[in-house]
Amino acid sequence: MNTKALIRAAALTIVLIAVATIGSELSASVKQLFSSIGGHHWIGKSVLSLVFFGVFYGLFAKLFDDTFSIKDTWLLIASVLVSGLAILIFYVQHA
Amino acid sequence: MMNPLILLHAITAEVGVIAFLWVLVELLNPTESRVARAQVAAVVGCAALLFAWLVGGFYYVEVYGLHVKPLIQASEAAWVHSIVMEVKEHVFLFLPILATLATAMLYRFESELIENRDARVSIVLLSGLIFLLGFSIAGMGALISSGYRFALLAGGV
Repeated sequence: MNTKALIRAAALTIVLIAVATIGSELSASVKQLFSSIGGHHWIGKSVLSLVFFGVFYGLFAKLFDDTFSIKDTWLLIASVLVSGLAILIFYVQHA
Repeated sequence: MMNPLILLHAITAEVGVIAFLWVLVELLNPTESRVARAQVAAVVGCAALLFAWLVGGFYYVEVYGLHVKPLIQASEAAWVHSIVMEVKEHVFLFLPILATLATAMLYRFESELIENRDARVSIVLLSGLIFLLGFSIAGMGALISSGYRFALLAGGV
């Protein structure tokens, strides 16, 4: 297992969840696209988050060697905090 | 009456996040047996969070959207849906990814964690993040339940 690829795939997937969340609120067609995947936009985002996590891992495992660095963990934590805050601020502003 | 799916969702999600607190504690001063226990806790936590995702998702799509959301939105507590529920349902999606990652790292490094400080600290940080994020989400769940009760009372139900 390539740890670096797994951590980076998690970070990118989490950023994409935030982008998908905000994008689907700003564009009805994007929301419809997610809804078409599982009948509900949230199911669409859930399924795509798993698919992208797997795809990014496969891709990154080919691009990066398995040299673990704690910097990647900090990058992931930053992506969680920034993505979570972006979602919170967006919904507070648009409530 | 509380929907049993909500109870199941809340209990399994809390078991999941507490399991990662257990992982964190085991790795503060790891030995081979503590790492082995942390692996078991992580698998339990990961499985519990995935189950909570399925149960909560089913409730959200089949019950909440049809019966709870319209009542909350029609009340003075509409912000409970438009802010709290929206944030909760999307930030929750981070948890299964983080839990899978932390569990995978525990099995990748295993007894190396006793010597490899960076890997150990990474799993401790991830487990702490899962715990804090999970309990923030649990707090949001409590707020949503309160919002629903408020909407029911305001509507004279």
